[in-house]
Amino acid sequence: MAGEKKTVPEKADKKTFSRRYFVVGGGTALAGGALAAVAPRAAEAAKKQDQYPLSSHYLVCDSKNCAGCYSCMTACSLAHEGEINFSLSRVQVHRAVLDEYPFDIQINICRQCPTPLCVENCPTGANHISAENGNVRMIDEEKCIGCKTCIKSCPFIPYRPIWDHRKKKATKCDLCADTPFYNKEGGPGKNQACVEVCPASALKVVTELPDQTDLNGYDRDLQPPRKTMPKFSFPKMAPKGAPKAAPKS
Amino acid sequence: MATPGFAGKILLVDLTKNEIVRLDTEKYEIYGGGHGISTALFWEFCVVPGDWDLQDAFHPRNMVSLMTGPIVGTGVPFGARTSVSGLSPQCYPIQWFSHSNFGGVFGTMMKMAGWDGVAVIGKADKPVYINIEDDKVTIEDATALWGLTTWLTQEEIWKRTGIRYGQQWVDLDGRYTLQRPAIVTMGPAGENLTRVASLVHGGGSGAGQGGFGGVFGSKNLKAVAVVGTSSLKIADPKGLRDAREWWDSIWNRGGGGGFGGFGGGASVSSACAGCGTSRKCHNRTRVFGQDSDDCAESTFFSQTRQNAPSIPSDANARGMDLCQQYGINAMETCFQGPMSFNTSHNPDFPIQPEIPAYAALGWYMKKMHDMGVIGPGTEYDMAPLNMKQFATNQFMEIYAMAIATRHGIGDLLAEGTARFAEKLGRTEDFKTLCRLTMWGFMDHWSMPGVEWAYGNLMDSRDINNHDSSSMGRPGGGFGGGGGGKTWTCEEFVKTMAKRTPPYNDPFWFDYSWQGKQAYETGIYSKSKAQFTAWHQHYWNYFKESVGFCDWGYMSLFSASHPEGYGHTPEAEPRFLNAVMGNNQTFEDGIHIGWRTWTLKRAIFVMQGRHRNMENFTGYYYRPGASYCGFSASKPIYDGSKWDWQDCKELYFTEEGVNQWKTHFYEIEGWNTDTGYPTRKTLEDLKMKHVADYLQSKNKLGAA
Repeated sequence: MAGEKKTVPEKADKKTFSRRYFVVGGGTALAGGALAAVAPRAAEAAKKQDQYPLSSHYLVCDSKNCAGCYSCMTACSLAHEGEINFSLSRVQVHRAVLDEYPFDIQINICRQCPTPLCVENCPTGANHISAENGNVRMIDEEKCIGCKTCIKSCPFIPYRPIWDHRKKKATKCDLCADTPFYNKEGGPGKNQACVEVCPASALKVVTELPDQTDLNGYDRDLQPPRKTMPKFSFPKMAPKGAPKAAPKS
Repeated sequence: MATPGFAGKILLVDLTKNEIVRLDTEKYEIYGGGHGISTALFWEFCVVPGDWDLQDAFHPRNMVSLMTGPIVGTGVPFGARTSVSGLSPQCYPIQWFSHSNFGGVFGTMMKMAGWDGVAVIGKADKPVYINIEDDKVTIEDATALWGLTTWLTQEEIWKRTGIRYGQQWVDLDGRYTLQRPAIVTMGPAGENLTRVASLVHGGGSGAGQGGFGGVFGSKNLKAVAVVGTSSLKIADPKGLRDAREWWDSIWNRGGGGGFGGFGGGASVSSACAGCGTSRKCHNRTRVFGQDSDDCAESTFFSQTRQNAPSIPSDANARGMDLCQQYGINAMETCFQGPMSFNTSHNPDFPIQPEIPAYAALGWYMKKMHDMGVIGPGTEYDMAPLNMKQFATNQFMEIYAMAIATRHGIGDLLAEGTARFAEKLGRTEDFKTLCRLTMWGFMDHWSMPGVEWAYGNLMDSRDINNHDSSSMGRPGGGFGGGGGGKTWTCEEFVKTMAKRTPPYNDPFWFDYSWQGKQAYETGIYSKSKAQFTAWHQHYWNYFKESVGFCDWGYMSLFSASHPEGYGHTPEAEPRFLNAVMGNNQTFEDGIHIGWRTWTLKRAIFVMQGRHRNMENFTGYYYRPGASYCGFSASKPIYDGSKWDWQDCKELYFTEEGVNQWKTHFYEIEGWNTDTGYPTRKTLEDLKMKHVADYLQSKNKLGAA
């Protein structure tokens, strides 16, 4: 309903993000260039963090092993919108093919923030925490008035909510909770179109809140243990003159 | 209203008139997309006006088209190709209408911008590039980009926008994208109108064969840049996702071809859009050759034993970057290609002790130098090349630079191998040393898989369809794979026959090449002609028009499948129907391919093609024709049973090829005396207008 302030439903998971966790991590976070922009808003956010239950699931990525095939973006847009449009994908892979590895690929995913400023600042309650969907932060299209406040509120660079220029409304990653064009049941604890399609195992959904204090919290090594060559050692030689082993019968 | 899968409109740019025109794709959909649509556009805008002779690829009237297909941009694995078409300056002796293609994200971005492709005619009066941002198309000044390498050109175009790519959402009139423009560009080799100039997109997604970089150069067109925010309509979004899961579950991660990937297990793949199979055609992690296609360019400076016992360990890696940055067709200009083959078992063979897989320009130049045809004391000075430094990185760099800038002997080399040989007065080498197809492209595994060779003969270039080379013993070719099971020859051919509808003829795969069996069921038979025609129709539609990649399609056989099935003929219509929703069958696709192929034939005919010209170059008729065979063990039917045989000694006879040609023209519906398409064939293919035009020019095949 327009004008209604977002609320945390009573049944929401009470797992919260502690103020201390946020503040302690702040200094490290600022060391990361992309997080520098967080600073002005961080103190304000810290005051309010206890109001929000944590999301039960988080999308994390592995940009060092991403193949840059955009399958995740295609799948995201297809599952949510029924058409393919890179601008509508809630996962945004950016490729700079002429830059050196690993700076040639950057994966921008919604962090399902412990203190979601996009939710906090939404004037209509469209951007809300969905208790029915594991507290994922998602946007109710009916309530969105297209004011872009969530986009402006997102502290990350580039911002993670998506502007749907067709509908003049904002959207964001809901971990596939609302996917009318997906034959599987989507949502936290269920399926995600981007994760299942990724041929490089570069996307994964985890339940533990990723480390907020450095850039490796959401972008991490997701590859299965590498196969290594078995250790080779020369067979032990019997000393000269030693009796030979009896042949096996 | 265009069918889903198509963006719906085609961009036509006339650089002479500085004119930008929008064409509706719907009118051209019957040609399938990609190369098919480009062929139809060429017919309409270049042939029908009748105001030039269709002979010079560098003429402003030539049209170069970059066209996507309906599968491009949909996320279908192996579905990201952009086809390049136009008169090719590399083709010899006539610069035939030809094609090439490249991957990366260019085609996908073209679709995201709402275009199925761009066709360019005319010549700008100064260097320009075409900039596409959704519907907004501009012709931009490229004077400051002239002389830059392909990589620098892309960097400079990105810089011009002033965007912090990757950090800043780009505002395109209220629509936002985080993507940087996809750019395809020529390098110095194109600017200098070499016939060996490629088009390069990204680090190394390139359209090399055909020399279309030079066509860009002749138009003063440096690059095309595109970025978009449009939506691509999909007929069955759920079905498309399900199709990918189905494909993944059966032919998991490239299993359709049994590819292990070139890059090795530790490297990180740099995939084309939507692909992400395990092939690792490109890699992110290398110091040199990052995002470069691991094809001919990755072995650019490899040498046969007789040329050099060794090369610097980093030569190939550095060579890859040289080719991409200068925009040089590595395949045409390399020295050996990925491997060489021993020839010492036949002391009479003129190339000893090894024959390079690609007897390309570099190899032939070295041979000519060693024979004293060029170099000191001859008419042809080698400068700026110092042959005493051969097999060094410095030599390689000067070699590439000389070609790209037409400097010194590079001016001669820039004409390509065939014209280089002609200039030296050595066209007789086409029978022995200079192993080129009929149309000036180097041989490329075309024998003993004769359908590849026949394809070369009837088309205008090396058809470069690796699917053919898989049609050997499982485990022997690109696509056979091992799988742990031993396939009898009869099991193999029957499996292949099951996968090639509607004919399902096991004799398509008989490579009997001697005696009467060669004429009855073998390489000169009607079965082989039928297979060649089917194969041409297949790739003209599914690969060059729809947008499927040669590395994944077609796949008739997969030893990892319990029945030995590759994903052809199931995957193609399943993906296409999910995207397009038009209930097309595999056979429908073959029919569209026939239409496109026949229209291309009409263009060839207008350029002067006749049955009399369609003869293999000399070496195809001599022992040694198949010494570069990648998969020499082929099925042979002796009249009563099938067995594998080593076909390394296979070569053609003129009489046999003549019989095969008659079968082939009959099957295609072309006149058997001239090779011209008949009215009935053209009308059956819904191309009455083509029949009328050919008739008006006395080029219609008699019924």
